Amino acid sequence: MLKLIKLEWKKNRLGKKIRIAAITSAVLLIFIMAMTGELNAGETIELYGKSMLNTAVELFTHMTYIIFTGVMLASCVVNSYENKTIHLMFSYPIDRRKILLSKFLVVWIFNFTAIVLTKVLIYAVLLLTSSYTHISTASIQIGNPLFWLNIMLSSAAMVSVSYISLLVGMKMRSSRAVIVTAVIVAALTQGNIGDFTLSNSVPFYIILLVLAVVSVYLSIYNVETKDA
Amino acid sequence: MPYMIQTNDLTKTIGEKELVSNVNIHIPKGQIYGFLGPNGAGKTTVMKMITNLWKPTAGTIELFGETLTPKSYGVLKRMGSIIEFPIFYEHMTGMENLMLHCEYMGYYHKNSIPEVLKMLDLTKAADKPVNSYSLGMKQRLGIARAILCRPELLILDEPTNGLDPAGMKQIRDLLKMLSREYGMTVMISSHLLSEIESAADMVGIIQHGRLLEEISMKDIVEMNLNYIELTVLDTKRAAFILTEKLELMNFKIMENGKIRIYDQKATPQKISKMLAQNDVEMSAISKKTESLEDYFLKKTAEV
Repeated sequence: MLKLIKLEWKKNRLGKKIRIAAITSAVLLIFIMAMTGELNAGETIELYGKSMLNTAVELFTHMTYIIFTGVMLASCVVNSYENKTIHLMFSYPIDRRKILLSKFLVVWIFNFTAIVLTKVLIYAVLLLTSSYTHISTASIQIGNPLFWLNIMLSSAAMVSVSYISLLVGMKMRSSRAVIVTAVIVAALTQGNIGDFTLSNSVPFYIILLVLAVVSVYLSIYNVETKDA
Repeated sequence: MPYMIQTNDLTKTIGEKELVSNVNIHIPKGQIYGFLGPNGAGKTTVMKMITNLWKPTAGTIELFGETLTPKSYGVLKRMGSIIEFPIFYEHMTGMENLMLHCEYMGYYHKNSIPEVLKMLDLTKAADKPVNSYSLGMKQRLGIARAILCRPELLILDEPTNGLDPAGMKQIRDLLKMLSREYGMTVMISSHLLSEIESAADMVGIIQHGRLLEEISMKDIVEMNLNYIELTVLDTKRAAFILTEKLELMNFKIMENGKIRIYDQKATPQKISKMLAQNDVEMSAISKKTESLEDYFLKKTAEV
């Protein structure tokens, strides 16, 4: 499996996508700094039980990477059906489910790593520049294991919910459908109508995660017996 | 006879449409099997099922003596194939595509890639991305990839599409060499008999999803030589006259009093004169000529 993942990485030239992810992170950082810069020096706004700063970082990184995961699922998985390279893959003496799983995993690993690193980068820069920007960074508790656990869990959850878009793309054999669905998922999970938002609802995320697991399962369960 | 490929009443239906029905193919080991049929006859459908890309609606496929199932991954290691048209990672070079193929096939022989590149005249183009290749080059790279891991069985669906006549000949010679030197069994489809007649050991003719005939090239060639066919009442006596009086050796006694004379020195005039002189009653005599292409067209037009 590890070898399959490595070959997927090589084939999809994911090294080049690191650059795109890095640029995205930099843009996010500038955007968040510009936004938080509007806060008065030393002010901390509590929102949904979290500080405004953390909420902003989480909201924008999550939104970005739910869509980014969708884009990568489109290019690495669904596009291989569109350009028929999957036929080539299915001519190899390798379990078809493993072939697809390796594609899913490579996208997951890439995006999970990217989202965690982006958050760490943004928090680090905010911390390091706080003496100049006077933004309150009290909520960035790097000494607290829960802070890190929260980063890991929320990142894993966000990348995973994006896999709901996979099934739509696989059924429609359309890369566009994946991306559109990912945008809808991002809007649903991260958006808000007035004060109402689902971004903090744990049961909502559990439902989405179950849907994502079902989506992955339905995308591969009959791949051995179905015509390619 | 051990068959490399054998299909038993192979049928594929998609929706209401029966693409192929009850196809029984028999490909002996080490042979080059030409799979002939007009466009849309069902050649690709059969080949997709043999390579396990598509699953039969009914019937079975035996490869290397084993029945093919959805989990038959092992047999794929022993096969090389091109179905419809060769597919590549276009942004990668020819060389990278071949290296990737070796990785997935678990085949590591240092010289195999330079060897196949040389065989297919692609050494110079190997480091260029595939999206800069011409159709013919892609086709050749596809063949290079199919034979790269020295498969025992080669499935090639119209591999000469996009090749010029010299390129076609090169592929035919290559297939003959692979079959002769490595004992490779080759199944090659085409809608043109002329493309494969000089390479194939036998052909299967498919039309409207049904296999019309499987016949060895030797038999076709024999059938297609110019010959004189005569119909007599007493074949034994006629045969005696032909041998003794006309000194003809190359003829065949068929059913219903028919005799086919392949000897080129015989003429209908000479034969009828001699038979009349010897009181052999003859009801018909005619000179037949038929080309391989005529034979194929006749077969496919019959349905």
